[in-house]
Amino acid sequence: MVPIASMGDIAFLLIIFFMLCSNFVKEKNVEYKKPMATDLTAIEDSGLSVAVDKKGEIYLDGKSIADSDALKSALEPRLKDKDAKDQKGRSVMFKCDKTLVKTQFEPVLEAIVGAGGIVVAVGDKKKTNP
Amino acid sequence: MAFKARKSKKDVPIPLDSFSDIAFLLIIFFILTTSIEKLVGFSTELPTGKATAQKQETAKTPTVVLKAGGALFNDQSVTLDQLTHRLGALELGEKEDAERVVLLDAGKDVDYQLYFEVMSLITDANGVIGILTEE
Repeated sequence: MVPIASMGDIAFLLIIFFMLCSNFVKEKNVEYKKPMATDLTAIEDSGLSVAVDKKGEIYLDGKSIADSDALKSALEPRLKDKDAKDQKGRSVMFKCDKTLVKTQFEPVLEAIVGAGGIVVAVGDKKKTNP
Repeated sequence: MAFKARKSKKDVPIPLDSFSDIAFLLIIFFILTTSIEKLVGFSTELPTGKATAQKQETAKTPTVVLKAGGALFNDQSVTLDQLTHRLGALELGEKEDAERVVLLDAGKDVDYQLYFEVMSLITDANGVIGILTEE
């Protein structure tokens, strides 16, 4: 007979493991194609996330923002208390569609920098031919 | 008259038989809804400046100009591979912060793909990206 008395305990341990290890996706509804580059390194998910979708719409932590000025105003109170040396605390993940042109994404970058953030640009690693 | 002894609520056993079933259903939910995504990218602190006000400084500072479909390094047309070598030759990692600045000036029609690639090359060469914006 298979001992099943501890199955519930094992199951709950697995649930706790999954709950602790999971990061819920903030930008579930944001459609964007990641840019690619060869020399990218693993980055940690910081608390703040700014995304610009393929239509050029701006999102802060998954919530739509009217424009780059509104983004700067929303970021400032969240970054103002951070120490200038606190690189991780000031990090803002920047996810942007690769087809957008400078006039669409640069005001967003300026807003992040203007609010005191450090840009952590997210992309995909380009596969190089051996 | 005999009274029936009331059954204390504490005596009612909690049904534990279905706990493991519920737990396994939760596990299946987590497995199906979790997508394992490893984030890759680069981190950069971007100082910005106005193009017109910076003209005298830019004469000494390495500058990458981006146009739709191409890049110029210090006014010379380069491919991205050539740009990697040119940035590597500057040995920015051995310089002080103020001397590690590489200015990035992009045309209006430059897409984020090219911009991102060049930013990653500058960061990888230990450069500090200075974005030139138009007034």
